Amino acid sequence: MALLADTDLQEDTGIRLDEQVQRPWQTVVWNDPVNLMSYVTHVFREYFGFDRTHAERLMLSVHHDGHAVVAEGAREQMELHAQAMHDYGLWATIRQAPQ
Amino acid sequence: MNAGRVVVLELTRMEAAHLSGLVTQFAELMEDAASAAGDPAIARLVPDAYADDAGASADFRAMTEGDLLERRRQDAGIVLGSLSEASALPDEAAPDDERLMELVELRLETETLRAWLRCLAAIRLVLATRLDIRSEEDHDVDDPRFGIYEWLGYRLDGLVQAASDDA
Repeated sequence: MALLADTDLQEDTGIRLDEQVQRPWQTVVWNDPVNLMSYVTHVFREYFGFDRTHAERLMLSVHHDGHAVVAEGAREQMELHAQAMHDYGLWATIRQAPQ
Repeated sequence: MNAGRVVVLELTRMEAAHLSGLVTQFAELMEDAASAAGDPAIARLVPDAYADDAGASADFRAMTEGDLLERRRQDAGIVLGSLSEASALPDEAAPDDERLMELVELRLETETLRAWLRCLAAIRLVLATRLDIRSEEDHDVDDPRFGIYEWLGYRLDGLVQAASDDA
């Protein structure tokens, strides 16, 4: 018997958790006219540990589509990734996955 | 980049001297740099992390700007250290002194190479801001700074290729 439980709060929390599960945070890298394609690929390989094929596909996606999602997960983790990208000189932002 | 790998960079003493001068200017710009001062080149090094949320971007910048700009200063110091011997020209050297064209080899170990890559990339970002480069086609043949910008790109690309060699 949940004598002390606040059922309203439980439902409320349940809804918010559900929404967070559905909408993770993302690190997005944006195209810029300065950073070399070879350098961007190198950064993706070195920092994220992606293999060459995956890193090049992401780089081309940045180049041709203007941006690419390079990571998805908890907001704090995406902020660490964005700071790391800034440290390399790449232009990165954080956002919640579009609905 | 495999740890323990050494990349050898070969350049002339004249190139080393020019690069050293450029990195010194960069280091001076980074000294006491703060995005709040309004320089767009500094702003490019600590960009907005949230496209639609100025408040969150400001919070993020407050947390990260110090580390990011400190890293720019450290990297510049490391690059200047690698260049110190190669870039030291005799005072009396004339522009056609053949010693200027002498090739020198710099041996860059993993962490030093990482500093070089970040530093050259950051200097290109600053130069591109000064030159108002907005597309890859932007070029002004009458402005020698574009030559420097492209030379930096050539050197950076060579180092990246050497660093990411799978062999």
